[in-house]
Amino acid sequence: MVFFLQMVFAGLSVGAVYALIALGLNLTFWTTRVLNFGQGSVLMIGAMLTAVLIAYGVNLLLAVLIALVAAGLVLVVTEMVAIRPLLKASGSMGWVVSTLGVGVFLQGLASLVFGTQAVAFPDVLFSSSATLQIFGAWVSVQYIAVFVISVVIVGLMELFLRRSTWGYGVRAVAHDRELASLMGIPVRKVVLLSFVVSGVLAGVAGILTSQISGTVDPGFGLHLLILAFVAAVVGGMGSAVGALIAGLGLGVLEKLIAGYYSPAAAQTVAFVLLVVVLAVRPQGLLGKKETVKV
Amino acid sequence: MLELRDISVSYGAIDAVECVDLSAAPGTITALIGANGAGKSSLLKAVSGLVKPKVGRILLDGEDIGALQPHERARLGIAHALEGRRLFHQHTVEENLVTAWHFRHPSGDFKRAVDQVYANFPILAERRRLKAGTLSGGQQQMLILSMATLHEPRLVLLDEPSLGLAPIIVSQIYEFIRGYCAEGGRTVVLSEQMASLALKVADQGYVLRQGEVVQSGDSAQLRGDGVAGAYLG
Repeated sequence: MVFFLQMVFAGLSVGAVYALIALGLNLTFWTTRVLNFGQGSVLMIGAMLTAVLIAYGVNLLLAVLIALVAAGLVLVVTEMVAIRPLLKASGSMGWVVSTLGVGVFLQGLASLVFGTQAVAFPDVLFSSSATLQIFGAWVSVQYIAVFVISVVIVGLMELFLRRSTWGYGVRAVAHDRELASLMGIPVRKVVLLSFVVSGVLAGVAGILTSQISGTVDPGFGLHLLILAFVAAVVGGMGSAVGALIAGLGLGVLEKLIAGYYSPAAAQTVAFVLLVVVLAVRPQGLLGKKETVKV
Repeated sequence: MLELRDISVSYGAIDAVECVDLSAAPGTITALIGANGAGKSSLLKAVSGLVKPKVGRILLDGEDIGALQPHERARLGIAHALEGRRLFHQHTVEENLVTAWHFRHPSGDFKRAVDQVYANFPILAERRRLKAGTLSGGQQQMLILSMATLHEPRLVLLDEPSLGLAPIIVSQIYEFIRGYCAEGGRTVVLSEQMASLALKVADQGYVLRQGEVVQSGDSAQLRGDGVAGAYLG
C-alpha cells in the first residue's frame, strides 16, 4: 500500500508537469492550428539556462526569471521564422518539419555551448532530501511543490482564458480568426502572446521536471513532450482542465506501470491510451467537437 | 460617408470584383444586389479589410483606410457582419457580446449597451447563458446584428442578413437595421440576393454581375427599371 501510494504521488507530480506542457501546446495550437514539435527543446533551454546560470553564481530567482524570458523569446522567434512564413500557403503542413527542425537546432546549439554532458540541477525548490509523510508514504517535498505549482498555474491559465479580456481574445482567435479581427481583436498580437505564454509554461515545466530528475542534458524534453502530447490529445485540444486531468491520469498510470511492471512499458501504454481515445472519442475527454453548421 | 474608387479584388487568377465605384451617404442604406458569386461579399470584405483589393481606394469620411488592418478598421467604426451565421458558436451569448465590445475600445458603458441589445431582442436576454451555437437561425442573426452594432459604429456592412430566415424574422431584422441607420446618421451597406426585398428597405442600390456594377441608382428608379423582378439567382 505504501509503495502504491508512493507511485501515485510521484505520478501526480510528473502528471501535473505533463499538464503544464500540454497546456502550452494547446495554447499555440488554438491560435495557429500548429503543433510545435520543437517544444521539448524549449523545456530543455529553460532548465539548462537555470542550471548553468546558478552554477555561475547568479541569484536563484534571477536565474529562473532569465530562463523563462529566454524560453518565451525562443517560442516567439520560432513563430516568426518557422511557423508564420509556412502558413502563408494555406493547407501547408511544412510546419511539422520546420518546428521539429527548430527543436533539433536548439538541441545542437545547447550541446555546442553547454556540452553534451548532463548538468546537475540545483535545488531550486526545497532540498531534495526533505520528505513528508502522507498516509504512511514518504513523499519528497519537491514532488509536492512541483505538483502544487503546476496545478496552480493551470488554474490561473483557466481563469485567464475564461475571465480576462485577453483570454477572450485568445479564445476568439482560436474559434474564428477572421471574425476575431472584425471584432477589433489584434490577431497578430494575440498569436504572439500565445507563443510567449506557451514558452514560459514550457520553461516552468522544464525547471520543475529537472528539479525532480536532478539533472538536465541537451536531449532532455523529447520524452516529456511525447507524454504531454498524449495528455493534450486525451484531455481534448480545447480544454485546460481536460489537459490537467489527462496529465495527472497519465502520470499516475506511468508510474504505476513503471513501479509494478517495467519502466519500459510506460510509454507503450501511453500510446495505446492515445490510440484508444482517438478511436473512441476523437475530441478528447473534455474537448469540444468541432461543430460546423452549414 | 463611404467612398470606393475603382476597387478591384482578385483571388489568384480569378477576378471577383472589377473597377467598382460606390458611395454610401450617412443616414442611408445601400444595397448590393446580385447573384451568388457576383462579388458582393468580396466587395464588403475589401471595405472591412479581410481581403486586400488589387487596386483602388477606400475612403471613410474622406480618410484613406486602405492600408489599415481589419482590427484597426473595426476600431475606426466599421462593423462587418459576415454571411453564414459567423459567431463564436462555443461561447455563450453574453461572451459573444463581451468579445464584440472590449477590443474596439469603445467609450461608452458596456452594461448600458448590453441592456439596449436585450431591449431590442428580448429573446437574447432569455438565452444569454446559452452557447450561441444552440440558438435558432433567427436568434443567431439577431446576435450577429447586435454584435455588429453594439459599439455604435458609423459604418455597418451586412452580408446577406436575410439568408435562410423566416419572413417574419426578416422583417424584424430589417426594421432593426432601418432604425439603426436612421439614428444619428449611420451608413449601412448590405448585400442581398432578393432584389425586391433589398429595394424595399434600401435607399439606393448597386446591381453587380460577375464583379462589375451593371446598374445603380436610387431604389425607386431601380424598381422602375425592373430590377426587382429580374432573375438574379
